[in-house]
Amino acid sequence: MSIPAIKGRAFSDRVLLVLVILLSIVMIAPVLWVVGLSLKDNAELMADPNSVFHAPYTLKNYINTVGTSSVFIWVRNSIIVSGGLTLGTLILSSLAGYGFARLNFPGRHILFVIVLFGLAVPEQAVLVARHQIFSILKFHNTYPGLILPGLSASFGVFLMTQYFKAIPKELDEAAMLDNASRFRIFWKVLLPLTVPAQATLGIFTFLGAWNDYLWPLISATNKDMYTLTVGMASTQTNFAQSEGIGFLMAQAVFAGAPILIVYLFFQKYIVTAVSGAAVR
Amino acid sequence: MTADIEIRNVSKQFGAMSVLEDLSLSIKAREFIVFLGPSGCGKSTLLRMIAGLETVDSGEIAINDQRIDHLPPGKRGIAMVFQSYALYPHMTVRDNMAFGLENIGVSRQIIDARINEASRILEMPHLLERKPGQLSGGQRQRVAIGRAIVKEPKAFLFDEPLSNLDAALRTRTRIELAQLHQRLQSTMIFVTHDQVEAMTLADRIVVMNNRKIEQIGSPMEIYDRPATKFVAGFVGAPAMNFVDATLDRSGGNAKVKFADGIAVQTEIASNLLADGNYSFGIRSEDVRIVPAGQGDADGVVDVLERLGERTLIYARLGDGLQIVGSDVGNSRVAVGHKVGLAFDGKKSHLFSEAGRAWHAGEA
Repeated sequence: MSIPAIKGRAFSDRVLLVLVILLSIVMIAPVLWVVGLSLKDNAELMADPNSVFHAPYTLKNYINTVGTSSVFIWVRNSIIVSGGLTLGTLILSSLAGYGFARLNFPGRHILFVIVLFGLAVPEQAVLVARHQIFSILKFHNTYPGLILPGLSASFGVFLMTQYFKAIPKELDEAAMLDNASRFRIFWKVLLPLTVPAQATLGIFTFLGAWNDYLWPLISATNKDMYTLTVGMASTQTNFAQSEGIGFLMAQAVFAGAPILIVYLFFQKYIVTAVSGAAVR
Repeated sequence: MTADIEIRNVSKQFGAMSVLEDLSLSIKAREFIVFLGPSGCGKSTLLRMIAGLETVDSGEIAINDQRIDHLPPGKRGIAMVFQSYALYPHMTVRDNMAFGLENIGVSRQIIDARINEASRILEMPHLLERKPGQLSGGQRQRVAIGRAIVKEPKAFLFDEPLSNLDAALRTRTRIELAQLHQRLQSTMIFVTHDQVEAMTLADRIVVMNNRKIEQIGSPMEIYDRPATKFVAGFVGAPAMNFVDATLDRSGGNAKVKFADGIAVQTEIASNLLADGNYSFGIRSEDVRIVPAGQGDADGVVDVLERLGERTLIYARLGDGLQIVGSDVGNSRVAVGHKVGLAFDGKKSHLFSEAGRAWHAGEA
């Protein structure tokens, strides 16, 4: 950008630019701090936390993290649980959203309100009852046990319902005149138009499932069924906060990296969906 | 392929609101029919009922003597072009056109042949691999028509398809639609609230108002011999002049008198008319502008509209009533001038309070 162009900018634009830069620093600094700490030896950090700003750096914490025998099992578990939950949520939310948006059936409105009530019920409120039910059904320490509770995705149904409603009904009608069955209209005409919403819902679901700690802590008591969050936590000693800060940070980076990759992959869909840009 | 369409005693309600009442209509094969009427008159609902997108509450619809009102839209053998075009945004033009044929199991070879033929007719082979988002409004319109053509339907339905186009493109597309009808010789039903579209495209116009058909006729029948006061006022721009009048039936032809005493001789036979209150109707082109004192009435010019080939003169009579008359293109009349208005009795109309119409020259 040429200097006159910069000079020509309104004062408010420049203030906004400074604010955005400051906000970016606030967001990025902790991440850099975590990465920096993860590259330092625990003992060195205990002696001087400011040592993060100078060499030597080491990959020892990462080697220790990967060296924990079960870590790849936990990663696998997290991928299965997060992936399964994401896939299930997308399928169910899309079908339910289409149903609520397009089909006229008795009790549709009351049923939708009941679904929305699900948004107001915190997980903690149903934890004990769910634990007992899953215990009776012997679902604990199984993948269904970790996945099923997350499939009651009120937010997903709500999001997809609103998205389907925003698609012009003329498309359904044109497809009906094109002799398409209801499922074919859903599958070939409408569903492809919801990709931005699917991506948004997918990434939020995946993030939530990947970072979830409470339910896996209750349901997965067998070490081989730990998800990454529970597994990582189990490796911490009592004094990890002071003695093993570098190791802890390496774990955090290790746990966060897949999420970062997923985010980068879906970034454009999220921006599209959040900005409200239409597909049409 | 073409179709006779028969609509018999069709009614439709949305909840407690009646949208169409006991409506009957016969559409002949290869005919270009236009449903014309103001917003909310039921014309689009009727079209959607023919398409199968709305159910028929009572009555029946038949194509080539076979009832179709119980069939789903895809089984009726008709194609529809929507106002919004309703192209599938994620599919290419080719896929948009192929979708309907794939659904009925047409072979790839035939699909390709039909798409190529339709795109040739519509001069859009270069657009086939594009998506709707990459097309202009006019091009989308063509694709929507192309999607209808490839299905080789018994009848084409158009739901205000020109509304989203700019004025120049609308005129061009209108002409292309007329040419397309001549080329395909298919039955076409076109819904619009634009009387110019109706007048220029239709073999017959169905004028609708308030849930009912007001008149069915050729464009010039509708224009020259409107069946009701509504039709007379709705078709034609500017709208027909109406003046409340009383009758003098003493002569062979009726003479009308306006409230301020102005009298106009019509050529409507007195014996056809009963006593009562009437509306005298006359179109602007049948009101000549003459020097003050030489016409049937005098008025002061309020507004001038220069249309090029003629000038519309909006003149106010003594009692405040505004009459629109017509003068030559380079009229020297100016706002504020006093002018005379000469009513052409041979082109006059009378409308009873019940809505019935009489026209000059009627036996």
